[in-house]
Amino acid sequence: MSETVLSDRFFGAPSRHRLTAEQAVRLTGLVILTLMIAAAVFGPMLVPYGAREIVCQPFATPSAAHLLGCNDAGQDILVGVLTGGRVSLSVGIVTALLTTALATFVAVGAAYFGGLIDQLAMRVVDVIMSLPFLPLVIVLGTFLGASLSVQVLVITLVMWAQPVRELRSQVLSLRAAEHVQAARAMGGKFGWIARKHILPDLAPLIVPQFVRVAHNAILIESSLSFLGLGDPLRKSWGTILFHANARTAFLTESWVWWILPPGIAIALAVVAFALMGYGVGDDKTPRADRNAKALDDVEKKASDGILSLQGVSIAYRTGDGPVPAVKDVSLELRQGELVGLVGESGSGKSTLGMSLLRLLPPAGRITGGGVWLDGENLFSAENARLRAVRGTSIALVPQSAMNALNPVRNIGWQISEALKIHGKEGGTARVAELLQLVHIDPARAAAYPHELSGGMRQRVVIAIALANDPKVLIADEPTTGLDVLVQAEIMALFAQLRAELGIAILFVTHDLPLIAAEADRLAIMEKGVIVETGKPRDLEQHASHPHTRALFASIPKLHAPRIWQRHPAAGGKILTLDNVSISFNAGFAARLRGAKPVNALRGVSVELRRGEVLGLVGGSGSGKTTAARLSLGQYAPDEGAVLFEGEPLHKASGTPVHMIFQDPYQSLSARMSVMEAVAEPLRIDGRPCNCAEIATALREVHLPCDDAFLNRRVGSLSGGQRQRVAFARARITRPQVILADEPTSMLDQSIRLDILNLLEDMRRDLGTSILFITHDIVLARHFCDRVAVMRDGVIVELGQADDVALTPSHEYTKQLIDAVEHPSSARII
Amino acid sequence: MVYLRIVLQYAVVLIVALSLNFALPRIAPGEPIDFLLPEDVLANMSQEEHAQVMREFGLDLPVSTQFSNYVTGVFSGDLGTSVSYGMPVWEVVLSRLPWTLLLMGWALVLSAIAGSALGVAAAKLKGGKLDIMSLVGVMFLGSAPPFWVAMLLITLFSAHLGWLPSYGAAPLTAMPGSWDWISGVALRLIMPVTALTLFQTANILLTARSAMTIALGQDYITFARAKGASENRIFTAHAFRNACLPIYTNIMIGIGNLVGGALVIETVFSYPGIGSLIVEGVGARDYNLLQGVFLLATLSVVLANLAADLGYPLLDPRARRA
Repeated sequence: MSETVLSDRFFGAPSRHRLTAEQAVRLTGLVILTLMIAAAVFGPMLVPYGAREIVCQPFATPSAAHLLGCNDAGQDILVGVLTGGRVSLSVGIVTALLTTALATFVAVGAAYFGGLIDQLAMRVVDVIMSLPFLPLVIVLGTFLGASLSVQVLVITLVMWAQPVRELRSQVLSLRAAEHVQAARAMGGKFGWIARKHILPDLAPLIVPQFVRVAHNAILIESSLSFLGLGDPLRKSWGTILFHANARTAFLTESWVWWILPPGIAIALAVVAFALMGYGVGDDKTPRADRNAKALDDVEKKASDGILSLQGVSIAYRTGDGPVPAVKDVSLELRQGELVGLVGESGSGKSTLGMSLLRLLPPAGRITGGGVWLDGENLFSAENARLRAVRGTSIALVPQSAMNALNPVRNIGWQISEALKIHGKEGGTARVAELLQLVHIDPARAAAYPHELSGGMRQRVVIAIALANDPKVLIADEPTTGLDVLVQAEIMALFAQLRAELGIAILFVTHDLPLIAAEADRLAIMEKGVIVETGKPRDLEQHASHPHTRALFASIPKLHAPRIWQRHPAAGGKILTLDNVSISFNAGFAARLRGAKPVNALRGVSVELRRGEVLGLVGGSGSGKTTAARLSLGQYAPDEGAVLFEGEPLHKASGTPVHMIFQDPYQSLSARMSVMEAVAEPLRIDGRPCNCAEIATALREVHLPCDDAFLNRRVGSLSGGQRQRVAFARARITRPQVILADEPTSMLDQSIRLDILNLLEDMRRDLGTSILFITHDIVLARHFCDRVAVMRDGVIVELGQADDVALTPSHEYTKQLIDAVEHPSSARII
Repeated sequence: MVYLRIVLQYAVVLIVALSLNFALPRIAPGEPIDFLLPEDVLANMSQEEHAQVMREFGLDLPVSTQFSNYVTGVFSGDLGTSVSYGMPVWEVVLSRLPWTLLLMGWALVLSAIAGSALGVAAAKLKGGKLDIMSLVGVMFLGSAPPFWVAMLLITLFSAHLGWLPSYGAAPLTAMPGSWDWISGVALRLIMPVTALTLFQTANILLTARSAMTIALGQDYITFARAKGASENRIFTAHAFRNACLPIYTNIMIGIGNLVGGALVIETVFSYPGIGSLIVEGVGARDYNLLQGVFLLATLSVVLANLAADLGYPLLDPRARRA
């Protein structure tokens, strides 16, 4: 998504907004360059003589006829500079075109095909980048002779390597992007994927590379020409300076008009390119501590909470003016209380959480209200006071612990820092104590963040938050992105800390089932407003607000009657994994470093029957996604076979297996129209695109099918709409098998069941067999006919969904169920 | 094991550079012998003399034997004879190397200090008037060709004001080692070092500024604020520590370019370093000399990269291996 944002930012000034400073800078560069090109192309046409003709006295001073005077041979300098621009600018631009074209070709090829081709290409790049740049250009230039084409060739040869390195890493991440994976899963070949998916996304990144090469090429050309390696028969800015230098122009009075103009021309052209590349890929960080601007103090209403939010309002500045994100919210947090602040994406819950420490993102502004901690209004506190309160009275456990820890400091240093900032003793003893509190071996204090697992990093962050015995802890989605069992582990840790230390915790999350099991109270947030608060049990049983009711209704319960009916005894086998094993060899370089191959699957046998829904359940690293990729034919197994209707999968005609990905924000290219996205599998198969068919598919997933909707860009749709488009795209191929990889886990709770209904519709209408991959064993129990529980690449339990989920026999299955039912009872490993 | 890979990779680079050196005279138009002897000598040579020269230089041998002879020669310190100097290439190069190291060493140290200090300051003032102004100024300085800046310096300080000598590295009249000689050397360093420093400072400043900006946008900065850290502490202990990595890499690249980088500047000031040697080699078509210098330049890039790779784990724990 960031790529499309980039493309909008580059040059393209949205018509209804003012130009941003960066766009103005880039536009300036473009204007300068355009003027220079125009002057170089048309300027010499305005005078009747050429740059090499002798038209005046040697060293003639500037006059009306010769604005910049003449050189030692009696040639007009202005005409020389203008004519020289033709050579210098065209060398720069032609070289940049050649170089970026070559670099893009190599980068896309290397990254797409990977393996040996990639290794080889990258070694060549390494070698070229290790060669001394300017000497190489000069040695090559000397051997090949002085001419324009040699200059272009030589500069291209030494300059293509660096853009390859940068573009390749971009293509690698694009190749891993789900919309590219999806196109491959639909059978798209290299040509299609490069044209439709990779190049359009890469284009905005190619432009800055082009600009930089042009920038360097003009400088190198001038250096080469200055050294006498330019075409002796053509004037360029460099050769003019070469002659000026050779004839020691600076000893005469003519230097002002002989040396200055060509040099300024070079600098101006180079600056123009530098301006055009300005700020692309630059981070949009605000200046430090901008949000800490204090609000006027307001009257506090009586409250019994340790933390009291009253009338908090927050708005975001956007191109269309301020948009309110939090509206007049009030909430109390009492001593030792765990309050869950629950909401879906865009509800304002994280904004509210971060505002309590006055740490909003740059565009955010607190527009009203107050937050009282122990009777002191934090919104009106001065900066110094705010810093003293942060970490000591009110602490934060932020989202994504991976990024919250400084990668170049060890964890002991980071814990110790939290103490020292507030003037406390931060020695090893106290650090060890804190690590023990979060169940980490104190010996690991010297470890760096990258050496720890995700769960351990999150616990280190919690240790830092607890360092100064805060009264209140704000936990912003602290379990998101972690494995199911680790989530339960972290939840258990919070419950323990609250019980032992008596801290009040505001737990911001979208995961209602997780927090409902533990919280004392829940605050349900929707569209910037807290719509309801209460005890979890009360809210579950008699919520007054429809949004709360909808949220609770959308949570499948383990012991409730099935939501979806079981399907009558299924037909024959359609897809079989027959004793499949696969390991991912670390590459040659990684093995040199001592990496061992990873066994992703070991002896997995399972079959999917016609018209059946089979669940593959497991935590991260269990091998369930690898099993799906094998069933799709993206990998070949090391041992065993993947059979489709009894035949090896690769012999099946067309693409009998269709995949639905986890994240509709990534599995559909945001650039495509709805029409293009739905029609893509047909186009890949070379079938004509039938509008009636597309309309039917859209109708079947309950989307509009008028022209206006068909022409909308996928990027403008909501997550739920996108996943519906993905389903329409699946339906249009009438697949015999659907692989659904956690199709609802990235969507808001309230629309999940609707999306699963679409999957069920497809099974009913088309007789499609479904392989359903999930970490949620409760959901699998309701949706699947049979369930296979996977762990470490092995199926540990396989049986009827109800049997596995209600009477689990394997220890791991029991842990998965406990993680959902009683998260706080999880053992902390 | 990681070191083995790095060393192997650089060994490959050296082999490629050697092969390139060997191949260039052979793929370029004309015969290798054209590159070994001055043109007037070649023109007046008889068939027999021609054949004899070919034998003497081993050019009648099979290409594979020639290559192994060449490589053996390089490793035993024999880079051939410079046609224009009539001396072994190795000796010519050694006599020039100290001047280049002196010149580039100063430029590198000054630009590293000025560039990182200004870059960090610019990041601190990001978005302010001072930041924008310094950025535009630096962009222009970094865009002006250094040799042109050098020409302007000469015009101003030598031709017009007569303050600084514009020619050579040391006064010809003073005894080497005497006070006059040392001050003469220092005076002759000022302008070339200035021209080089201006150009390189721009580069390091932009790297430092963007590295700081990126570091300041990371989640660990927000978390440090939540800990109650002051803005100064966040700037130095967190952001600058992380920004050191790209700055270090950039400076190491500068060290690698020590030998080849001053080429144009040395020419403008007729400074007797390696760079002007290359230009002389081009003018005199002294191919042995060019190949020798090219090899030396490659070696310095490879050694600097090697040092950078080996030193990087000291700065970045993620690059360390147990």
